[in-house]
Amino acid sequence: MADPATEDEHEEELNTLQSIYPELSISSRSPYVAEIDLVVAPVKPLLVSFVEEQGSHRLSYLSPLNITITLPEGYPAEEPPRLKLTTTPRWIPDTVLKKLQAECQSLWEEYGGMPILFAYISYLQESVETAFGLLDPSNKTPLELPRDMKPELLDFNAKMKREIFDKETFDCGICLEPKKGAACYRIERCGHVFCTPCLQDFYNNAVAEGDVNSVKCLDPSCGKTGDTRADRRQKPRLLSPKELLQVPLKKDVVKRFAEMRRKKKIEADKTIVNCPRKWCQGFARSDKYPKITDVTLLEDSDSEPEPEPEPEAHAVPPNPPEPEPEPEPSKNQEHDIEKRPGGVSTDRLAICEDCNLAFCSVCLASWHGDFVYCGPRKEAELSEEDQASLNFILAHTSPCPYCSVPSQKMHGCNHMTCSQCKTHFCYLCSSWLDPGNPYEHFNNKKKKECFQRLWDLEEGDGGDAAEAQAQFWEQEALRLQMEEVRVHEGGGGNT
Amino acid sequence: MSAGAKKRIMKEYGECMKDTPSGMKINFDEQNMTEWEILLDGPEQSIYSGGHFKLKMTFPTEYPFKPPVVSFKTKIYHPNVSNDDKGSMCLGMLRPDEWKPPNKVVSVLRLIQTLLIEPNADDAIEPSIANEYKENRKEFDKTAKDWVKRYAK
Repeated sequence: MADPATEDEHEEELNTLQSIYPELSISSRSPYVAEIDLVVAPVKPLLVSFVEEQGSHRLSYLSPLNITITLPEGYPAEEPPRLKLTTTPRWIPDTVLKKLQAECQSLWEEYGGMPILFAYISYLQESVETAFGLLDPSNKTPLELPRDMKPELLDFNAKMKREIFDKETFDCGICLEPKKGAACYRIERCGHVFCTPCLQDFYNNAVAEGDVNSVKCLDPSCGKTGDTRADRRQKPRLLSPKELLQVPLKKDVVKRFAEMRRKKKIEADKTIVNCPRKWCQGFARSDKYPKITDVTLLEDSDSEPEPEPEPEAHAVPPNPPEPEPEPEPSKNQEHDIEKRPGGVSTDRLAICEDCNLAFCSVCLASWHGDFVYCGPRKEAELSEEDQASLNFILAHTSPCPYCSVPSQKMHGCNHMTCSQCKTHFCYLCSSWLDPGNPYEHFNNKKKKECFQRLWDLEEGDGGDAAEAQAQFWEQEALRLQMEEVRVHEGGGGNT
Repeated sequence: MSAGAKKRIMKEYGECMKDTPSGMKINFDEQNMTEWEILLDGPEQSIYSGGHFKLKMTFPTEYPFKPPVVSFKTKIYHPNVSNDDKGSMCLGMLRPDEWKPPNKVVSVLRLIQTLLIEPNADDAIEPSIANEYKENRKEFDKTAKDWVKRYAK
């Protein structure tokens, strides 16, 4: 049977302890069982890494150490208190927990059978500062933990940080009012704090006005090194859509922001062509600027790679990129085109991301296949010889309306038959002609361009034929002129 | 103008009153708090010493998201002040793309004072005056002092 005096002593010790540590709770089932949670907030953030994962995290707060104390009958004279030390998740290694437990035993021995709970809990609290010795003084070797603990530990750290932040008071630099942290937002990259309504006002306004480059930290000194020239060169660090949602801004505002950023980037990129359909004008699909499917996944606003940010503990684990709903022309396909016989060196096929029109990025006609010649080609692609032949083609040929192959008329009428695809067409305007009645085109008064012009360029278009003809007419003109002069001279002689 | 903006202007006026930069006087009209009149003495170590300049500071409706507009009502010969009847200034934090909402009137006033002591010829609104300031300092000083005598006494 328990000695009533000892019972009182037990109860008294736990009650005293509770008045020192109000978070200590005495079990409802037994007055000799109590438990307390110690939040682990080391003096410096603890560096941790997770198995099979790159990078490390700095945790300022770790899930609490739970201490369950059971006072046996023989305590304190004959027995030490019975302890159960746990953490959820179990991030403290068992060896460390054992050591902490052993400390209780030795403390009890040291005190020679006196109550030791206060001393022991104080000891644990002190140990928290070094995360029970896990805090590496150089803070370079991370504590490696199983991967499945990651979400829980990161969440806890973020939650604690937020709780502490919420209770702090900040002077908002915009409205100049002191505000509780709960009504403020801390910008991730630089840590500057403003009150949420001011940030919302400013960013909403900037997005509404289309001034996307203002969507950055508002602190005047932010990102300034003091070197004006270097600072001016530096691109502004815009807030990511993901962060804007946390401020929080409304989703449609963030969406507009992200779309505008993307549009500006694409417009600056000359390799991206617009859809030739007048009512569409969408951008050609590209891997470089994937269409925005979900703004909540956009972590970056800046196109250039940013310096690796210090992996912060509260950084949310990166989401996998959204799978594209429609397959993009893959590298492989491009490669195949190059390999095809007679293929072109650049892939001209473009697909509009909005209306899905497949078109040629060079001639902007709807897609004509790989083998069709089209222009204008980029100047850089052309050698001098190419340029000369291109000029000739433009000046002295007409393309077939069906296969676009350029044809040059050597002689005869303007009713042509394509040598490649046998299509009948008009040499003057490249119109398709009905094989059944091809000459109707030249007899139709409505076709002003070609009416009565079946025999224009009868001697052929350009090349030797035209040159010969031109030379002939030049000679002829000269001859006539000379004759005229002679007549005049003769006339002059008569008078 | 939003209530927040008015509140902020009032607050800033309070701050300016508590800590007015020396050689400056602010005339504030509560009925028209978006237009401040500032009387500024030419700083002693500058060529504008002895001059008294009247400035107007106008707060836009979007203040503090947009910068206040500063103009010299008294004519001044200075590379950073437009040489017309507007006497406008547009540099540094007064530039709309450089302005940040936490910037305050006090810092704008300090900037103006600093510019009187040392003009910023690389960010000038009057290139010819800036050029003279850089190439022919004697002539610049002479004209500036002359203008002080003529307009700012």
